[in-house]
Amino acid sequence: MISAVILQIIGLSLFVFGFFPVKPALSGVSGPESFYSDDGGDSDSVANHTQTSLPPHLLKSLYQELSGIHPSFDRLILMVIDGLPAEFVLGKDGLPPREDFREAMPYTQALLSNGMAIGYHAKAAPPTVTMPRLKAMVSGAIGGFLDVAFNFNTQAMLDDNLLGQFFRIGWKMVMLGDETWLKVKDTVQVDQNVSRHLESELNRDDWNLLILHYLGLDHVGHIGGRNSILMTPKLKEMDEVVKMIHLSTIQTRDNDQGKTLLVVVSDHGMTENGNHGGSSYEETDSLALFVGLKSDHSDYAASPCNSIYQVDIAPTLALLFDVPIPKNNVGVVISEAFDLLTDDKQLRVLELNSWQLLRLIQAQLPGLSCRNLPSHNGFTDGLASTIVECSGSVEKMSKSRDDYSCTVAAYHQFLKTASEWLSRRVTDKPVGLLAFGIVTMAVSSLTLLGLMICMSTEDQPGENQRLCNSITGMHKWSVNEIFLLGVMLILVMSMASSSMVEEEQYIWHFVLSTSYVLFLRKAVQPLASGSAKSLFKLMKGQAERHDIRISSIILLLISGRILRGWHQGGVNWTYLPDISKWLEQAGVNHVRSIQQASGLLVISLSMCALYLFGSRRKITRLFGLCFLICGLLVLWHLYHNNAFVSTSYDAAIQTQIIYAILGIATIGTFVALPWFIPLWFPGTCSELNLKSTSVTVDGQCIFSLVEFRDSSYLIGLAYIICWCLLQLLLQQPINSMPILLLLVQIFSSMLYFSCSGLQHIEVEVALLYYMGMAGHFALGNSNTLATIDVAGAFIGLSSHSMFLSGILMFIITYASPMLFLLSMLMYISVKCTSYLANHQNVDLGHLAKMILGFPCLVPVGLNSILLTSYTIVLVLMRNHLFVWSVFSPKYLYVCAATVCVYTGVFVVAATEIYTCWVLALRRKKQISIR
Amino acid sequence: MADQSKKEEEEEEEENPSISLSVPQAFLVHLISGLGLAISLWVAHNLYSINLVSHSSITLRLIWIVESATVILIYSRFRIDPQQCSYLKAVVRGILALPVGALVNALGAIALGAPVGIQYLPKTINWSLLMSSFTVAPAASVFGLSWTYWQRIFAQTKPNGPLEYMICIPAHGAVIGGWFGAWPMPLDWERPWQEWPVCVTYGAMTGYLVGMIVSSGFVLANGRRQRLKED
Repeated sequence: MISAVILQIIGLSLFVFGFFPVKPALSGVSGPESFYSDDGGDSDSVANHTQTSLPPHLLKSLYQELSGIHPSFDRLILMVIDGLPAEFVLGKDGLPPREDFREAMPYTQALLSNGMAIGYHAKAAPPTVTMPRLKAMVSGAIGGFLDVAFNFNTQAMLDDNLLGQFFRIGWKMVMLGDETWLKVKDTVQVDQNVSRHLESELNRDDWNLLILHYLGLDHVGHIGGRNSILMTPKLKEMDEVVKMIHLSTIQTRDNDQGKTLLVVVSDHGMTENGNHGGSSYEETDSLALFVGLKSDHSDYAASPCNSIYQVDIAPTLALLFDVPIPKNNVGVVISEAFDLLTDDKQLRVLELNSWQLLRLIQAQLPGLSCRNLPSHNGFTDGLASTIVECSGSVEKMSKSRDDYSCTVAAYHQFLKTASEWLSRRVTDKPVGLLAFGIVTMAVSSLTLLGLMICMSTEDQPGENQRLCNSITGMHKWSVNEIFLLGVMLILVMSMASSSMVEEEQYIWHFVLSTSYVLFLRKAVQPLASGSAKSLFKLMKGQAERHDIRISSIILLLISGRILRGWHQGGVNWTYLPDISKWLEQAGVNHVRSIQQASGLLVISLSMCALYLFGSRRKITRLFGLCFLICGLLVLWHLYHNNAFVSTSYDAAIQTQIIYAILGIATIGTFVALPWFIPLWFPGTCSELNLKSTSVTVDGQCIFSLVEFRDSSYLIGLAYIICWCLLQLLLQQPINSMPILLLLVQIFSSMLYFSCSGLQHIEVEVALLYYMGMAGHFALGNSNTLATIDVAGAFIGLSSHSMFLSGILMFIITYASPMLFLLSMLMYISVKCTSYLANHQNVDLGHLAKMILGFPCLVPVGLNSILLTSYTIVLVLMRNHLFVWSVFSPKYLYVCAATVCVYTGVFVVAATEIYTCWVLALRRKKQISIR
Repeated sequence: MADQSKKEEEEEEEENPSISLSVPQAFLVHLISGLGLAISLWVAHNLYSINLVSHSSITLRLIWIVESATVILIYSRFRIDPQQCSYLKAVVRGILALPVGALVNALGAIALGAPVGIQYLPKTINWSLLMSSFTVAPAASVFGLSWTYWQRIFAQTKPNGPLEYMICIPAHGAVIGGWFGAWPMPLDWERPWQEWPVCVTYGAMTGYLVGMIVSSGFVLANGRRQRLKED
């Protein structure tokens, strides 16, 4: 099994590295050679020699000389407003923006309406998270999909980019950004920190490039969505900043201190709920606003809302300031930005851009050159002819107006096709690597599957002999088993459809509740006078058990339905009403009181579970007290820290203390409990309320089993409580109730399983796994990256750390699958109990295989099937339109789920092995003492 | 043990009257209940010119009224205890079971994810009454409150004899058909029939019809076996 797991990990990593595009980026930096055409090979070598040795100011003048476009601006202010959708400023589909937003930004609207500024809808490429988008803006390249993972750390950008180019020509840059990604719930402070220094910087002239990064608007979005009450004031504030900068640029220009270009951009938009990451129009609709390009042309009417790509900003800025276009740029210059220049300069701009793109195409299609054009396919043919046309028209370009516009059109056509081709191009995937990855994964999952089938058939005959009289209606393949196997099939098939991937939560819930209904049906079957066999065992206890089973399933059904209704989830129907929206409308106070209540209930429920455990031994009491304190601490913390205030330093410290206490309590339980749990000996068996009180030869085994059961119950309970408390702390307040419901589900399913005998352990474990996945969606997750709760990932961190916040994010996102995996410990102990009740003699090897093997094997096996089949789906869908927006994010989720399953199973297995080891050691010691 | 064998004997005694249903009779029953469904759909389409997509709750109401009337009236003739229970009484208990079965069906549908809300309430009620007339109403008319039968048919799916086949298989067909009918709902085709409860109703009706065909087959096979035995 372990080898299969390792095999799978290897396969997965091979596949991930093979599949996700690591763009064939050109390394190195554009130098002066970018101003020459390619065919002049000599100039290249000359330039290469000079480039490295030139001091900045000489390089700058060299560039200016070579480019032949003399910059009309001396300074650049790049104002990045995080998460501002262009719709707020420019409106949508030719309509003006909403009334209140327009009124919130009077100055900007005035600039736009009298032509001082040109605004664009800059379409951002997914994934719409900040760092890749900032990269795209400064380098013009579309990053690989895995960049999301590095969203948090990329401090150093190694590729060729604008900032590097500016730096090389000796520009001085001032960056006023805020590093308080930490305080995501803070909406005011972050921006004030930026603006505070702005005024003084504006008055100085020791900089050439000023970058402002305003994060507040994104934070507002994350908290309250597009229609947050904080949105209008925030827009007003941004407008004030624009006004201040613009007035100051006018002043500097009038003082002949050089002309300044103000570019207001946003890195991405936001959905109705304020999230981002996906590829919907709302998220990709980012803003690009050039203020000052046409300062003298006030007669120019407001241009209609143009649409560009976000990557177009990089080449435009590069050429506006006479630096080489970054090497990996795929954007096209915005021609309106160069309207003031003369015709030949404009042509030069287009020419430079074309050369750069051509070079990039050549890098990806080796053998393609201006002169020698092999036709790869239909497209390249078209491209090639355009290139010929371009170069031809450049050569014979005359001053005549007619020819000029012809050339411009040709250039534009070339640029457009080239850019689209480059940005859409499916990168050549290393086929061997992919195939090898898939094969290894398939082999490993087949091994796991084989192992599973082996084990379940192995214990069937033995079981049947022993238990043939216990419960009725159990032929070898009961409906439930077939159904749960069918679920796997359904899931695998549904993954091939993009809309089913988007709306996966429906499938999980539907399938899960159907299986509850089937279990209910099974529970009703032997009731009263069913068939002959059940009557045989119809004792009073049995009837009581059926009541418990039925009521626990009904509880499962109800809580499952509430969980389903809590978050609408998915992609297409997110606007439909659900409980969380309804509660949020009802007000913050309601949400908070529900949070408190569910916190209290979580604690009392777990105390109930502890009480049900029944023993009044010292150790149990100590244990209970310990977790009661933890729980009360968490509650107290929740009570005192409103979501909007929790930015203070104290709160972070408090949270850290709580993390520490929870961690210590859990690890302490794990380490210490097996050492202190009282050992049972034949002498003390009068306390046992087991059926098998008669001391048999196997007495030793039974007693060690009792200890094992007790300690694994307590440790499992400790894990569950700790995990729930952690989630209460980390999740959004609205999600505290679902956490409670998940806990209820766990306890009631344990109640059910405690009465359900020992057959079909694999089915029950699979059911627990499915419940975990359904809960994953019930907590508001979906298969788009937009629903990841970024805000929660910074709770209690006082310094920025990608690693820690990544872990927190993982904890938040995979709360429910992990919870159910941890509950496997409790499940094992519950099964031990029913084993003890049913068997006089203990076959430890068989028991270990059945009770310990399945809870570890089944989740891993199921997950590996899902992983492998989804990998194959992804490969089949690699040319699908939605491959980057639907299938790839889902694949990331699947990979993360794999990590989650492995972690959970590892924890379970490690705990069990450790407990067994300690107990055996102690028993040996005791016996030797005696 | 004594208890058990006594119970079994009782069961066998109770089964006796149900065998009295002949094969042509069974076909007729199915034909009439299928016709009831067809007629109600035809009336809805042609006389009132409404359909499930445009006026789902009104159409559903029409269908369930016609269908439940047909089913209750026809199945009451085959009640298992004709000595103790008059025809009228069987009809009355069928009618009484209709809302109860509807409640069970509605709860089941909601548990499986049917939308809850004021605007969906009439649709859900009408749909569950239709489902009830497919599943619970005929069983109630025939079996009354005899728990053994109910359990054998709905919990264990072990029908015994033609009458039980005729009740059990179409009912299960309707439920399973409705279950499969729900699958297209989350797809983003944006068709009006993907709304609750349109496609579920189509699925349930299809399942019911298929169930009736299958049960006719079973009844036929059963009859042949009986004849072979007698020979």
